[in-house]
This record gives sequence, C-alpha cells and structure tokens, in this order.
Amino acid sequence: MAEPPAIETRGLSKTYPNGVRALVDLDLRVERGEVFGYLGPNGAGKSTTIRLLLDLIRPTAGAAAILDFDTRADSTAARRHVGYLPGDLRLNDRLTGQEQLDSLARLRGGADADLRERLVRRFDCVLDRPIRELSKGNRQKLGIVQAVMHRPEVLILDEPTGGLDPINQSEFRSLARETAGEGRTVFLSSHSLEEVQRVADRVGIIRSGRLIDVDSVESLRERSLRRVTIRFAEPVDPTPFAAVEGVRLQSADGALLRLSAPEPAMDGIVKAAARHRVVDFVSEPADLEEIFLELYRENDGRG
Amino acid sequence: MGAAELVRRGLGDRTRALIGWSVGIAAYIALLAATFPSLEGSDELDELIEDYPQALKELFGLSDISLTTGPGYMDTELFNLMLPLLVLVLAIGAGSRTLAGEEDAGRLELLLAYPVRRRSAVPAKGIAVGLEIAIVSAVAFLALAAFDPLVGLDLDGGRLAGAMLGVAVLGLLHGWLALAVGAARPGRARALAVPAGFAVAGYLVNGLQELVSWLEPFRFLSSFWWVGQSPLSTGVKYDGVLVVGVAAAVALFAAALLLERRDLQVP
Repeated sequence: MAEPPAIETRGLSKTYPNGVRALVDLDLRVERGEVFGYLGPNGAGKSTTIRLLLDLIRPTAGAAAILDFDTRADSTAARRHVGYLPGDLRLNDRLTGQEQLDSLARLRGGADADLRERLVRRFDCVLDRPIRELSKGNRQKLGIVQAVMHRPEVLILDEPTGGLDPINQSEFRSLARETAGEGRTVFLSSHSLEEVQRVADRVGIIRSGRLIDVDSVESLRERSLRRVTIRFAEPVDPTPFAAVEGVRLQSADGALLRLSAPEPAMDGIVKAAARHRVVDFVSEPADLEEIFLELYRENDGRG
Repeated sequence: MGAAELVRRGLGDRTRALIGWSVGIAAYIALLAATFPSLEGSDELDELIEDYPQALKELFGLSDISLTTGPGYMDTELFNLMLPLLVLVLAIGAGSRTLAGEEDAGRLELLLAYPVRRRSAVPAKGIAVGLEIAIVSAVAFLALAAFDPLVGLDLDGGRLAGAMLGVAVLGLLHGWLALAVGAARPGRARALAVPAGFAVAGYLVNGLQELVSWLEPFRFLSSFWWVGQSPLSTGVKYDGVLVVGVAAAVALFAAALLLERRDLQVP
C-alpha cells in the first residue's frame, strides 16, 4: 500500500458569511518528505487554507486530510501529527519563554525534552524573560521551537521567517531541509518567491483564493522573469537585445536599457551587452505580481 | 491530559488577581465584623429601618430581619448584595476573559491548533472559572468563620456554608453564561454585557416582584429569586441553589457545543 500523502485537499473551498470567496476549489497534494512552498500575495488565501487544515475554520465545500486523517472528522488525530506556527503568532505575554514552552508541551501531552533543548540552543532563544519584553524575532523563534519540539510528521508554518534576522532565517531553512530529509514534511506559506525558492522543492502559487500553478522550484525559476537594467557608456541599438528569445524590451533611452527576461535568456543578453562598454548591469527578480501576470499570460496562451 | 493544562494555565494566569480578590474580601469582612459590636442590640437602628419605604427594604432585603443580630447583620451587609456582587464581577470577568478575551487577543488560534478538542477545552476553561469562584468563596467563608467567635456573630455553621454555596452557584451560572456567550460568537464585550445584564435584571426582578405585580411572573427567570435572600436569618433554599446549579451546567454544556460548531475568529 502506498503511503498516504502528507496533505491532500479535494475541492476545498471557503466562502465567508460576508460573501468573500477566500478559497475556491483547492485540489492539492503534498507528498511526504518534501518542503512545499505555498506562495501568494497577502490576502490570497494562504492562511485560510492553513486554518482549514487545522480545523480552526470550517470549509464551505470539499475536504482535506493530513496523513489520511480527515481534518474535520479526525481533526484531533490529524493535529497530533502537526506542528503549527501561526502567521500572526500571539503568545501568553506574561509567561517567560520557558514557561510558555513548558505549558505548550503539557498541552500536547509531552514533547521531546532533548530535542527542545537542542532547538532552543540552535535558535538562541531567550527563555528567562517575560514574552512581552521580547522582540518580534525572539517571539518568532519561540514559535518555531514550539512547532517543532515534538517531532511532528507534518510542519505547517505560516510566513515562518517574519521578523527573523538573516542568521536565524538561514538556520530555519536548514531546519526545514533536515526535516524533509528525515522523510517528514514541511508546508510553508510565504509572499516572497526568493524565500520559497531557497528552501522548497515544489511551489504552489495561489492568488485570489485560487491555486493557479504548482511547479518545481527549478522550473519556476526558469520561467520567472528578471528585471534587467543595463547602462552603457554610449547610446546603443536595442534590436539585438529584443531579438533574444523571451526578452521583452521595457524601455530604451539612449544609453539606458530596461528589459524583462526569463533566466534562460540571460546568457544572450550578457553576450549582446558585451559588444558595448557597460557602465552598470543590474538583474533583479521580478516581484510576485509580475510573476503572476506572466503565469496568467501563459495560462491564457494555453487556452 | 492536554486539556488539564488549560485549567492549570487558566488559574496560573490569575494568581495575583486571586490574591488581590481574597485579601480585599477578607478585609471587607473584617471591617464588617469589627463594626458589628457597636450595632448589636441597638433598637434605634431597627426602628430607623422600620421607617424605610417598603420598596427599599424589599430591594435590599431588609424586610423581616433584624440588622442588630449577627445573622441579620451579615445578611444585609454581605449576602444580600455585596458578596454576590463581588463574586459575580469576578465570575463574569473570568468567564469572558478566558474564552472571548483570549480569542480577541488571538491567543486561541495556537491552542486550538494543538490536539485538544474544543469540547474538552471549554469545560477545562469552565473548571478554571469555577475554581476562581471556589477560592474566593472559601476565603469569605473562612473569614466569617474566623471572625464569628471573636465578635459574637452567632452564625449557624450549616447556614453559613449553604449561604456561601448559594453565592458561589450564582457566580458559576453567570461566569459560565459569559463563557457560553463567548463560545456562541467572538467578542469579549458581548460576553461581559449579556451576563451582567442578566444579573442586574435578575436582581431587580427579585427585589421588586413582591411590590410590582407585573414582575411577579418573571421571578422564575431571576437566579437571585431561586437562591433567595437573607440565607443566614431565614435558611438556605437548597432546592433553588440546585436549580441554579443545573442552569449553570446547562450553560457550560451549551458553551462546549457552541464553540464546536463555529469558525474561530483570527486576528
């Protein structure tokens, strides 16, 4: 018998009483052992999906399962295998970090004390001060520890790196990779393609409550556009640049050239630029909205 | 089990508040006890109250009891208004804070994402509220029992325990009602206002129903009527206390069901 997927949803939908369709007909399958990035702008339905999985809110249609436990009928069993970090983490401000983690461990009915100790050291958590005195980053670290400290099979993290400094972000990413390496599953939401690309195997892209694409990070990277700005020493002819496969000319103003281009086109652009004297060359990832527009164009193209 | 942690946490967060309440109530009782010897047996006071308008006497439970005996004094000064009022403020505050308040603050999301059933989380929070009431009631009982021999209040031990039970059960009903209102819909303001309004209405109906005839049919809706007034002088209405206790249990049961069926409000 095949192992059940870590997360599976079928036609999962949520329409709020005020008529807002926060999630529409979501069919998603997250395999065990992968880091799945759930990407979308704010208000796209990421947190709604996650809260449906945790039975905090109830679907208006469809169903979901975590490790084959239905998230409605067997919600407690499902949640036993889940570690969750809310997008807007609120802890008990009066408790110290230590007391908060103790309390949450008892609420779960036990946690691995050694593992917790290692995590606390790894993220350099502040345990002896009341949580109300902690910075957002230090609270977030406690949030990560409480989500992981019982070795859950499925980790569900809503915008996990919010407030973390770069060192802890990188520590978090290696934690996520290790977790997946052990055959466990990480489902994380983010509004940053950069962040998701660094850690995820696959990415699901959601916008206005609809999943518009699921793809491997590799092919998403190839498809996603860069914004390229090149400044030359003297005015240049933009035609050879526009001729490179996939390149769109945004503006050509004498010596200043603005292009949008997918990754495979970069080589052609650099070679065309090399024929002139280059003053500056900037290539930056397009923001999420541009990637969405590109994806929409592709989807429209397919009919 | 997991839900037991909610009881523990619920009380743990309230340690300092409970110490404050206990000290305050014990001090108030000490003050009353210290004043009693100067009033004891003073006919003038009884005559003064005799001349009060009947409506006032009904409302404050002054009819047919003597202020100058220990039980009558403690009934009017403590059990007919002040102690139920204090316990209700504590209970409604606790009942609305523990669920609706936690939800407003966004702290319920993480707890309910843990493998805890909502229908066990609600009773656990109900127990924590009940323990707050029990602690403060026990302190009041002990304070009265301690001062009684010192100033000669001459209270009946059984009646005193029953009277305290009546007050505690009133607190339980309103505290668990606050829990149920918070379970039905998010928002602490409503969870405070509904039981507070119910308490005030119940108190007025009970105080005035003998004078205002159209209120009389509504007396069954007043938890104060069921528990009765002046328990130290006239005896404890245990059947009424039981009715209020059952109503409280119904409120808690409803709270568990109501929270189970709705979406959690998230920040």
